[in-house]
Amino acid sequence: MSSQPGATDARVGKAAIEREQTVTINDPSRWVDEHGDILYRYALERVRKPDVAQDLVQETFLAGVRTQERFRGGSTVRSWLCGILKHKICDYYRKLGRETSFTDLEFLSDECAEKFVPEGYWVHMNGPKEWKPEADEVMHRDEFWKTMRDCLAKLPERVATVFMMREMDEVESKEICANLSISEGNLWVMLHRARMALRECLALNWFENPEVLH
Amino acid sequence: MFQEHRSWLQLQIVLLICRFTPKCPEVTRILSLGMEKELPLITRIKVRIHFLMCSFCERYMKQLKYIRQVSREFPEKIGEVSNAALPPDAKERIKSALRS
Repeated sequence: MSSQPGATDARVGKAAIEREQTVTINDPSRWVDEHGDILYRYALERVRKPDVAQDLVQETFLAGVRTQERFRGGSTVRSWLCGILKHKICDYYRKLGRETSFTDLEFLSDECAEKFVPEGYWVHMNGPKEWKPEADEVMHRDEFWKTMRDCLAKLPERVATVFMMREMDEVESKEICANLSISEGNLWVMLHRARMALRECLALNWFENPEVLH
Repeated sequence: MFQEHRSWLQLQIVLLICRFTPKCPEVTRILSLGMEKELPLITRIKVRIHFLMCSFCERYMKQLKYIRQVSREFPEKIGEVSNAALPPDAKERIKSALRS
């Protein structure tokens, strides 16, 4: 016990902060108001179906409640919940992968024929042009992310699913194949076509779009 | 790719490269594959040689890497640019599920 009043104040203050944090963590209905929309937006981009996205958000919060003693701070509540959501999305596709085929080899099966001359080289006018992204600057622009979102939305669902698992969740190829029950060769074809289409879409609508002021 | 002014010798070198390295559609496929696993040394050399005469494919590679980089940032950005919101009834449903 310290007799110094200052130390007592500090202790009281610290206890108040801890209590405040405990309240925030322990009151999951506040999570729903604070983080629900953000989680829902991400889930919706990924699964494209509002009812499925809502279920995933609910499962995320429930899992959060069950495992909250494992949350040790270090990250924000939001990024911790986002991590749980990503796992829930992977689980969702794993279940779906057992029921439906995730292989989509139809998309771009002509390999962008108009991009290449028959001899096998880029058509001169249509080849990739230099992108001059002031990377850091561009990354902060909301319009860029909207363009990115629209381009992802144009990919066929299954192609988008494998692309986002690979590039956003950073799941390794082999794991995606195991989760979704697709062959490695087919996954590579799908990723290749997703990248080609996304590159093309970003070039047209952002990097080579004269209306976008970089 | 052939319309630039080249001397006879330069043209022969380009034609030689064309004969022994993959064509552009194949190179784009290889570049994507290279993001999934390590490619054999000989393939990497062929791609490098291909880049000597094809700046399109070299740009393509840089842009794929850039797309990978921005994709990783996408999840945290999407919350800011999308205006989708959990419908009120879904919020209530989730809250009551959390209480039970």
